[in-house]
Amino acid sequence: MSQTIAHPEASEVESSHGHHAELSFFRKYIWSEDHKMIALQYLFASMFFLLVGGLLAMGVRYQLAFPGVPVPIIGSFLPSWLVTSNGAFQPGGYNALFTMHATVMVFLVIMPFLIGVFGNFLIPLKIGAPDMAFPFFNALSFWLFLFSGFILLSSFFAPTGFPASGWTSYAPLSSHAQYNGTQLGQSCWCVGLFVNGLASIAGAANYITTIINMRAPGMKMFRLPLPIWALFITAFLLLLAVPVLSAAAAMLFCDLNFGTSFFSASNYGQPLLWQHLFWFFGHPEVYIMILPAMGLVSEIISVNSRKPIFGYKAMVFAMVAIGVLGFIVWGHHMFVSGMNLLLSATFSFSTMVIAVPSAIKTFNWMGTVWGGSIKYTTAMCFALAFVSMFVIGGLSGIFMAATPVDLFIHHTYFIVAHIHYVLFGGSLFGVFGAIYFWYPKMFGRMMNETWGKIHFVLAFIFFNCTFYPMHNLGLNGMMRRIADPTQYDHLRSQQPVNVFITLSAFALGLSTIPFLINFFYSMFRGEKAPMNPWKSTTLEWTVPWPAPHGNFETVPTIYHGPYEYSVPGMEEDYLPQNQPAPDTVRLAAH
Amino acid sequence: MSKQSSRTSLALSAIVTLALIASGACAHAAVRTSDLWWMPEVASKGGKDIDQLTYFIYYLTGGVFVLTQVVYVYFLIKYRSRKGIRATYSHGNNRLELVWTAIPTAIFIGLWGYSNHLWWDVLHAPSPPDTMEVGVLAYQFGFSFQYPGADGNLGQSDVKLIGNNNPFGNDPNDTATKDNFQSGILELPINKPVRVRLNSRDVIHAFYVPQFRVYQDIVPGRTIDWLWFTPTQLGSYQLACNQLCGSGHYNMKAQIEVVSQEDFDKWYKEKSAAAITAAGNTPARSK
Repeated sequence: MSQTIAHPEASEVESSHGHHAELSFFRKYIWSEDHKMIALQYLFASMFFLLVGGLLAMGVRYQLAFPGVPVPIIGSFLPSWLVTSNGAFQPGGYNALFTMHATVMVFLVIMPFLIGVFGNFLIPLKIGAPDMAFPFFNALSFWLFLFSGFILLSSFFAPTGFPASGWTSYAPLSSHAQYNGTQLGQSCWCVGLFVNGLASIAGAANYITTIINMRAPGMKMFRLPLPIWALFITAFLLLLAVPVLSAAAAMLFCDLNFGTSFFSASNYGQPLLWQHLFWFFGHPEVYIMILPAMGLVSEIISVNSRKPIFGYKAMVFAMVAIGVLGFIVWGHHMFVSGMNLLLSATFSFSTMVIAVPSAIKTFNWMGTVWGGSIKYTTAMCFALAFVSMFVIGGLSGIFMAATPVDLFIHHTYFIVAHIHYVLFGGSLFGVFGAIYFWYPKMFGRMMNETWGKIHFVLAFIFFNCTFYPMHNLGLNGMMRRIADPTQYDHLRSQQPVNVFITLSAFALGLSTIPFLINFFYSMFRGEKAPMNPWKSTTLEWTVPWPAPHGNFETVPTIYHGPYEYSVPGMEEDYLPQNQPAPDTVRLAAH
Repeated sequence: MSKQSSRTSLALSAIVTLALIASGACAHAAVRTSDLWWMPEVASKGGKDIDQLTYFIYYLTGGVFVLTQVVYVYFLIKYRSRKGIRATYSHGNNRLELVWTAIPTAIFIGLWGYSNHLWWDVLHAPSPPDTMEVGVLAYQFGFSFQYPGADGNLGQSDVKLIGNNNPFGNDPNDTATKDNFQSGILELPINKPVRVRLNSRDVIHAFYVPQFRVYQDIVPGRTIDWLWFTPTQLGSYQLACNQLCGSGHYNMKAQIEVVSQEDFDKWYKEKSAAAITAAGNTPARSK
């Protein structure tokens, strides 16, 4: 199939390349339709939002450790919806902090990092395509995304401030201004997520079309690198799940502003409808945020172990299984919501089943490092840590999948620990690893390995110091989303743990400084990167930096699967996808 | 794998497994000495079964974690890049894939069976005939409670009738509701099953008591009446709202007192009599 697809002639690519050299500043850096530039735009935007989300998290942690204590230095400059007159966080302001922390991290950091940055950068380069199928759409998607970020954050300047009903925005708290007190903020949240959804849908349609139609000759589906498989499956999840959120956000907006009653308790409305719609999106969303990281990590581990990925097809099928099952587990967020108890039993079953493909992936990563020749680059360290952190996050999920245990630990800090092990120790560690790994192809220079290792060690230690004790807090009955734990008898004795977590969280926040310095310094002063610094087999390492608009001078032909490392009988320990195996060498089937 | 290295890995996993078991034992001990690191002492009947399942999953996942991590770290050390040693060329092994698909599947389905059985037992089983029913009303930002009164019958209620004059939505035509009395604290007799009838006046709240190991959202517009439990420890507890409900959420709580049956009867009689006097009528008896 891939041999017959439309693929621009090489001459056409070159002419567009020639044309590209004359692009104006505006067309090159602002409204760029080159997937590589769009990826960099996403990268800088996501890093900005990461700082915003991180600062919000620092605010959350400050309040939990030192409730009622005025915020040093900046306290007096914060708006009145956030702090009291003496500069300490108000309980309602605290609700706004964690609401926006989660919203920013999910929609403006993790998703754009994984899908916007690495989806855009890697898909055309790895499949041998000159660009995305719809470059205009692609540029539009980025600007919609950025716009949605500013809509979400703009409510900071509203008199009632940020939305404060949680990133899950359960109705009727979210749908009635008299209950949440921030009609404007909550409306911004609805509109922001709606626009963000448009960006996701445009991106997803683009990725699917590109991967199906624009693979270079010989790039069969089972020769696709795993990050591409992961992004392909993720794009389907986006396309099916995000419209549900968009619709729900629109309904919420109407409830909030036009007096409809989709989600209200009276007038035939149904509060649980919001939860069903939100989690029908929200659970696939969890996999949207982890699958691409799994793909990126798989590749980093294979390259740095100098070994083919263990069980390539098992990895692909496991991701497909996660994608499909991901749509029938949303009710495990609702075991104790008032949903029918029989439904809880059903969702508990599907949730247990979806743990199986995750286990398969873990075993295959272990199989990949087995017998390898492991190079401990910074990227590899983050990828290896991803596996362990994902194991912890996966295993803690089993507690909540068991309905009776959920009866006890639902909505406690146990779940906060769980999601951060998956999203920070998982997704974000994957993102860090991928940045160190693909940086040479993005900026033509290497990042500094020593500073990379320092970043890794600090992030790893303080990540665990921050989030591991949250399991204990949860088991001890600490509710999530309470502004002041010292109000409760059973939590007062826990306060030292909260202080410890907060200090660790501050250190974790500071640990990104070596990363940021390394990132920006290396851009200008880093060692010049060779074409293929990691001796990798996939196509992006066959193009020079800066890669021309159109990527490949001649259309590459693909001869075999993506991870042919340490093939016996060859002098080099890697065999690029666009080079046929020598006659003397037989590649093993995967 | 050489004999030497397999022995090393065996020793390593043995040490870590022992450490894990020891930490579990410490955790058990910690329940009594200090509650800094572990669950608060369980104070309900069903809670004991839930704890058993929690411990079961704790040891299961702990074992899996230690085993996988020992093997993983061992691989990471053993297979570090060394001069002159080339990586093994292998694309995988289908038999292994089958094994590590089948075993987790069996474990997870078994675990679901255990957990689901308990879910039915704890939550769905009909409560015993001597169960006392208590009405719970949640609102921004507090709880109030309604007891059945002298007749021991809470009577009919309807969520549509909830209003300022009728906070619990009692059916005015049902005489059993006439002698109900209200309370600001949740007073419970020890070892007697209690069923809560949960209503909310505005947004979603939750009924959460960590010592009883119970959590249930309270949804406006409907009545949730399937949650029941049996307190087994005397003492004071706090009922906490655990569903974000607005700016006062962090402080939305109520006192729970678990007392002896005698103390409870005394308290109940006083409250009941006071309510009748206040209402200025005699209790309507319904059998």
